[in-house]
Amino acid sequence: MMKLSSASIMGIAALLFFCALPAVVSSWVAADFGIYFVYAVFAVSLAFLWGHAGLLSLGHAVYFGIGAYAMSVVTLGMIPGLPGVRSMWLGLLAAVVLSGCAAALVGAFFFGGRRPLKGAFLGIVTLALAVVIERLAINSSFLGGMNGLMSVPPITLGLNGDGPEVTDTTVLYYLMLAILVAVILLMLKVEGSRFGKSLASVRENELRAATLGHDAARLKNRAFTLSGALAGLSGALFVAQFGFASPSLIGFALSADVLIWVALGGRNHVISAALGAITVRYLESRLSGAIGAAWPLFLGGLFILSVMLFPKGAFGEAIAWIDTFRKNRRAASGSEPPAA
Amino acid sequence: MEQIATVILDSTNAILVLMLVSLGLAIIFGLMNVINMAHGEFLMLGCYAMMELINLGVPFFMALALAPLVVAAIGLIAEELVIKRTYHRLIDTILATWGLALVLRQAMVLIYGPGSYAVSPPDVGSVVLFGEPYPVYRLIVMGISLATIIGTFAFFFGSRWGLAARAVIANRDMAACLGINTRRLDRMTFAFGSGLAGLAGAAMAPMISIDPNAGLGWVVPAFLSILVGGLGTVSGPLVGAAGVGGLDSVTAAFASPVWAQLVVFTAAILVIRVFPNGLVSRRRREA
Repeated sequence: MMKLSSASIMGIAALLFFCALPAVVSSWVAADFGIYFVYAVFAVSLAFLWGHAGLLSLGHAVYFGIGAYAMSVVTLGMIPGLPGVRSMWLGLLAAVVLSGCAAALVGAFFFGGRRPLKGAFLGIVTLALAVVIERLAINSSFLGGMNGLMSVPPITLGLNGDGPEVTDTTVLYYLMLAILVAVILLMLKVEGSRFGKSLASVRENELRAATLGHDAARLKNRAFTLSGALAGLSGALFVAQFGFASPSLIGFALSADVLIWVALGGRNHVISAALGAITVRYLESRLSGAIGAAWPLFLGGLFILSVMLFPKGAFGEAIAWIDTFRKNRRAASGSEPPAA
Repeated sequence: MEQIATVILDSTNAILVLMLVSLGLAIIFGLMNVINMAHGEFLMLGCYAMMELINLGVPFFMALALAPLVVAAIGLIAEELVIKRTYHRLIDTILATWGLALVLRQAMVLIYGPGSYAVSPPDVGSVVLFGEPYPVYRLIVMGISLATIIGTFAFFFGSRWGLAARAVIANRDMAACLGINTRRLDRMTFAFGSGLAGLAGAAMAPMISIDPNAGLGWVVPAFLSILVGGLGTVSGPLVGAAGVGGLDSVTAAFASPVWAQLVVFTAAILVIRVFPNGLVSRRRREA
C-alpha cells in the first residue's frame, strides 16, 4: 500500500469533513464557505512562496487584487475598445495572466542582478509596493477609485457572459472545494518536482545551491510568478462570488490578513495554510458577532502567541504530532527502525 | 519667495520628525536584530499618552516630557512579554510585532473608540519668518527633534553605554564574551527606541488627528528611510529620512499630496534595489 504523508492524512480527513458539511449547515453558511475556500487558494499561493521557496511577501494582496480587478473589468464589459466582451472565461484568463505577469516583473526586478533582495528586506519592499499599488487603485477613476467596481456578475458558464449562471450555494460550495483541492494537488506536485526540489535547496542555502549549478534568480522568479498567478486566480474567483472589487482587496489590509492565516495555519505545508485560512475566516464570522470589536484583539494576541509558542502554526504542529505518533508506533511494532 | 520659505520650513519639520521615528527603528533593528512593525503604533501611543496627560491637567510641556516615558514603559513591557521570545528569528520578529501592532491598535479602539481626538497646541503664537507668519510650536517641534537626535548621537559616541551598544551592533557574541550584559542592553534599547517614537507622537499630537490608525502611515516611510540610508551606521537612517521626508513634502507642496507617497515609495524602492546596502554603507558581514 502507498504510504501517505501525515499532511496528506490531515488533508484527506479535512476533505471528507468538508464534503459532508453542506448536509448539516444552512445554505447561508455554505455560501460563506465558498468564499473561504477561495481565501484558502490565496493562502496556498503564499504558503508555497513563503514556506517552500522561503520568500516572504508582505504585500501579496497585490496579485489577489490584480486578479479581482481583471475579472471585474472583463465581466463588466469594461475592456477599452471591446464593449461587447464580457466572458467569464476570458476574465479568469486575464486574471491569471495579468497577475502572473505582474509577479514576473516584480520578481525579475527584485531577484535579478548581482545583489538580489532577500529575507526581511524583500518583505519590507513588497509591503511598500503594496501601499503604492493600493494608492494607484484608489486614484484610478477607471477602476472606480475608492468605491471600486460594483455589481460584478456571478460565474456564468457561457462563452461570452451568457449561458447558465452558477448561483446555487451548494453547487458553488462544491465547485470552489474542487478548485481548492485541485490547486493543492497541483502545488504538491510542483513541490515534489525537480523544480520544487531545486527551489527548496535555494531556500535552505542559496549560495550552496548556486554553486551546485542552480540558477537561483530564475528559480525564485518562477516561484514568484506561479504564486502571483495563483493569487490572481483566487482574486478572480473571489470577486465572482462577492460581486464587488475594492481597493481594500489590493493593499495593506488583506496582505496582513493572508499572512496571519498562513502563519496561524502553518506555513510549511500548503494544506495547513489552507486550513488556517478557512478556520480563521470561519472563527471571525462566528466570533465577531459575539465579541465584536474585541475580535482583532483576540486574533492579534493569538497570532503573537503562535509566533512565540508554536511557530509551525496550529495545523503544522498537528501534522508534526501525527508524524511523531506514527513513527513511534512503527518503531514499537518493530516493522521499521525507529526514527533517529 | 515666501511660499518657498514655508515649504522649506515645513519640509524641515517633516524630515526632523521622520528622522526621530527612523532613528528609534534603526537602533532597535541594528542593536537587537528586531524588525519592529509596531513602531508606528508606539508613535500612536505617544499621541494618546499626550492627550490623557493633558486631560489630567498636566501642563503641556510637562506632558510632552512625560509621554515618551509612558511609551517607553509600554515598550519595556512589550519587550519582556513578546519581543524577547523571538530573538534570533528575524522573520518571526516581523510577525510578532505585526501581531503586537494589531493588538495595540485594537486596544485603543476598545478604550477610546474608533473616532479621532485632537489636542490643542500650546499658546505660543506665531512668528514672522521670511515675511510670512509661522507657528512657533512647529519651530519648537523642530528644536526638540534636533536636540534629541544630537543627544542620541552624543550618547552613542560619548558614553560608556553607547560604547557597549556600538560593540553589540558590531559583534553581539563577542560583546557578550567581554562581559557586556546584552540582555539588559536589549531591554533598554527597545524602551529607548519606542520612547523616541512616543516622543515623535507626543510632539506631533497637536498637529494631527489622534486615532487608532495614526501610526499606520509611519512605519513604511520609516523602514524605507533606514533601508535607503543603510543599516549598520547611525547616520544612515538620518540620510534616508532626509531623502524620504524631503522628497515627500516637496512633491506634496509642488505637485499634490496624493502623488507624493507614490513618488516617494517608488523612488525609495528603486534606490533600495540599486543600493541594497544603503547610501551610507559600511561593509557588514553576511549574516
